Amino acid sequence: MADGGTTEGKGIGARVLRKEDWRHLAGKAKFTGDFQRPGQKEMAFVRSEVAHARIVSVTKPAGFESSVFTAKDMPDMQPMRAPSKMPGYKGADYPALAIGKVRFVGEPVAVCIADTRAEAEDLAQATLVEFGELPAVVDMLAAKAGDAPLIHEDWGDNLVMETFADDDFGKIADRATVVVKREYRMARHAMNPMEGRAVFAEWDDRTDQLMMWTSTQVPHLIRTGLAQFLGLEQRQVRVIAPDVGGGFGCKALLQPEEVIAGWLTRHLEVPVRWIEDRREHLVTGANCREHHYFVTIHATPEGRILGLDCDVTIDAGAYSVYPFTNGLEGAMAHGNLPGPYDIEVYRCRTQTMTTNKPPLMPYRGVARPGVCYAMEMTIDALARDIGVEAHDIRTMSMVKQEQLPFMSIAKKHFDSGDYAKSVEMVVDMIGLDKIRSEQISANGEGRLVGVGMGSFVEQTAHGTSVFASWGVAMVPGYEQATVRLTPDGGLELRIGVQSHGQGMETSMAQMAYEVLGIDPSQVTVTHGDTGLTPYSTGTYASRSMVMAGGATARACRVLAERMEIIAAHLLQCERAEVTVRGGKIVSGKGEVSFAEIGRVWYLNPDELPDDVDQGGIEVTMGYRPEPDSGAFTYASHACKVAVDIDTGEVEVLDYAIVEDCGTMVNPMIVEGQTYGGATQGIGTALLEESTYDSFGNPGASTFADYMMPGATDAPHYRIDHMESPSPFTEYGIKGMGEGGTIPTPAAIGNAINDALKTIGAEVTETPFTPRRVRAAIAAANKNRQGDAA
Amino acid sequence: MTELTLKINGEDVTADVETRLSLADFIRDHRRLTGTHLGCEHGVCGACTVLMNGEPVRSCITFAVVADGTEITTIEGFEDDDPMTLLRQAFHENHALQCGYCTPGMLVAARDIVTRLPDADEDRVRLELAGNLCRCTGYVGIVNAILSVIEKRRL
Repeated sequence: MADGGTTEGKGIGARVLRKEDWRHLAGKAKFTGDFQRPGQKEMAFVRSEVAHARIVSVTKPAGFESSVFTAKDMPDMQPMRAPSKMPGYKGADYPALAIGKVRFVGEPVAVCIADTRAEAEDLAQATLVEFGELPAVVDMLAAKAGDAPLIHEDWGDNLVMETFADDDFGKIADRATVVVKREYRMARHAMNPMEGRAVFAEWDDRTDQLMMWTSTQVPHLIRTGLAQFLGLEQRQVRVIAPDVGGGFGCKALLQPEEVIAGWLTRHLEVPVRWIEDRREHLVTGANCREHHYFVTIHATPEGRILGLDCDVTIDAGAYSVYPFTNGLEGAMAHGNLPGPYDIEVYRCRTQTMTTNKPPLMPYRGVARPGVCYAMEMTIDALARDIGVEAHDIRTMSMVKQEQLPFMSIAKKHFDSGDYAKSVEMVVDMIGLDKIRSEQISANGEGRLVGVGMGSFVEQTAHGTSVFASWGVAMVPGYEQATVRLTPDGGLELRIGVQSHGQGMETSMAQMAYEVLGIDPSQVTVTHGDTGLTPYSTGTYASRSMVMAGGATARACRVLAERMEIIAAHLLQCERAEVTVRGGKIVSGKGEVSFAEIGRVWYLNPDELPDDVDQGGIEVTMGYRPEPDSGAFTYASHACKVAVDIDTGEVEVLDYAIVEDCGTMVNPMIVEGQTYGGATQGIGTALLEESTYDSFGNPGASTFADYMMPGATDAPHYRIDHMESPSPFTEYGIKGMGEGGTIPTPAAIGNAINDALKTIGAEVTETPFTPRRVRAAIAAANKNRQGDAA
Repeated sequence: MTELTLKINGEDVTADVETRLSLADFIRDHRRLTGTHLGCEHGVCGACTVLMNGEPVRSCITFAVVADGTEITTIEGFEDDDPMTLLRQAFHENHALQCGYCTPGMLVAARDIVTRLPDADEDRVRLELAGNLCRCTGYVGIVNAILSVIEKRRL
């Protein structure tokens, strides 16, 4: 039985520096845009300039007709279809190139190819599209109106999906005498990985395969989708994600450009390349986060939350995306609104509306930054109303440690932890008492200081049963990993998930070290290649470390058993006398190196015992947690802000995080993911917004008008950890890649409203820009004057 | 087409280029030095930062022909450069990169900071980094790495 590592500490819990760093530091990494082949063509797109229109005609530039393609030229390319079994769901097929109509600015209408991108862009510019403009539906609330224009005429309305759960508030009416109601909005964003999307495709005649290098988080899903929509068999498609420059969700879906590149290289028999530019990303990738909330909390006079009543509207854009659909966010909002709170009554309606904007995609945190913001902001509003500290409401109302495991009112199966303790710790870290006395002694001129927090519990690594209940096109099952001992005793580890910044080439090697004691430097982790790795639905939902890490551990354990059989024979001892430890097989009679095992199996099989496992020293094992309802990470964030009441400017002065993701495999990576997530949350809270005019024209198409968080916007984070292992996963690991984004808008919004409480102003719409903060202050002043008169 | 003569990473280069060609595309597509990355192509994100005659420039908004007669250093050209060697080690030790896409431009900018501002504190380092976007790290590791190199170079 393998007992893995030695005291050197490179396994679970060690801050192992990353194996993947050096190629990036040297400038020798290989991203999709770095691929180049002789004779390749560059792609550029003609995109819709209007939000909603019939395509009257497309006129190709004279002499270049064979270099410009519309949907009519590609009759065998199927629109992308993402089914869902969610009741009442209406998903619109997403044509890779528009057919008949366009439904958002930036929708691809035609593709042009040329030797250089500049020439391809020249062709795109010279292609004339005549649009028969139709009235656009730009706002999700306006989309509900009975006389709203229809985006998909055959639907009869603009409703993608509705979820509804009613409850009897009479049950708590005599105790829940305090009722607080608020309205919130979260703005539309773009995810903005620093590498935009990119694809390089060529047909390999030798293997009769479409070879596609693409910047994706989900290579196996891309293969499945490409085959389906291009009319190929899946064995004819190989998808490789080389170095990928961030994803955050927008690369977890099949993209129109990938389907089109596949069609072009197959039919034209030349390699093709497309590299998204930032303007394309900001226009076509404005696809996430846009929610609207009415939230009502019912509580006791002391602030114990008993009931929650919500109406949620989600702006899902124009089409349904493969494979996750544009309905997932509604289901997620419904299931996550009550957060870590133990409430008695929950009523919630979510309405997912189609609009003339890019299709909604799941951005890091998926619905939870929105629901956490709506819930946590309302909790602080309640605290201000009844005159208590908001953290007391939280600790009083949260599910208690001794209640776990616990089925929440929204049917989430919480596994382990102490939610209230994370609140107490973060209140202590931020120095609440000191800030309160600072507020009292401040003279109130110019800058007001405020403190706020946000807490969440996050389902991670949820598996088969959860996705099957959503009825989406792909349901994750047993995640697999393959380990193979090389003839010289090194280890090859192959995983179907994809690492694009998460450091899995290191953390998965740590997992192998944990079981086998093999130094991470002797482990090669291969990922992101459908030709080399087991099928996987890929990297999303904070699942990779739990799922692929768990599979890696199991495969390593079977490998250890097989090596032990060979080693016992070589040492002429009983199987029970040998064990894998510290990267070799040891017994009282001596030891055998992994290299010796490799030599015997591959090169000198005459030395093998009769009872050797004929599967050899290559093992594939599958893993899924049991139950697969998810490992629940949680955290509390608190921050201190200063609000300039004249300019409306908000400065984050301090930011404290207490998080619990169960057993940490590499705390350095955990912290890096958390800081990065929180900084994206600061973007959500203070900066990022994809604006539209009333015609559906995007107003933020460069980094000059779409504000990204820079080094001066990010605070000097302070972080502390709790470690409550999940009882349901290998080593108690929980997923943690997304959590940093979730409570940040709530924490910052609450801090701003705390600063503004003496004025009676509240911000309720992200991002909390100087303009919105000033408007909130002006509205409060106007109210007061109204009261005085 | 315009003839262009320059030095890239110490090597003499002569080429005929279109006047509209950017320095970044010249470096990446013509010279195959793909360590220089394009993040926005409008001069904001800093991923494409290279040195021109020792000064950081945005190669995405610099025409290749403007580089005529200059010396360009890309991320591939710092092999024996002491500040860069320190920075690379510090970025590694401080987890200053995740996806690695902003890293080459970030390192070139960081080299400029540590050599030009030997007394910079955290606030100043953050201010100097305002022209380089990173979507992954929250800047924590990057700032710590740069500060550690400034400290080391003081000794």
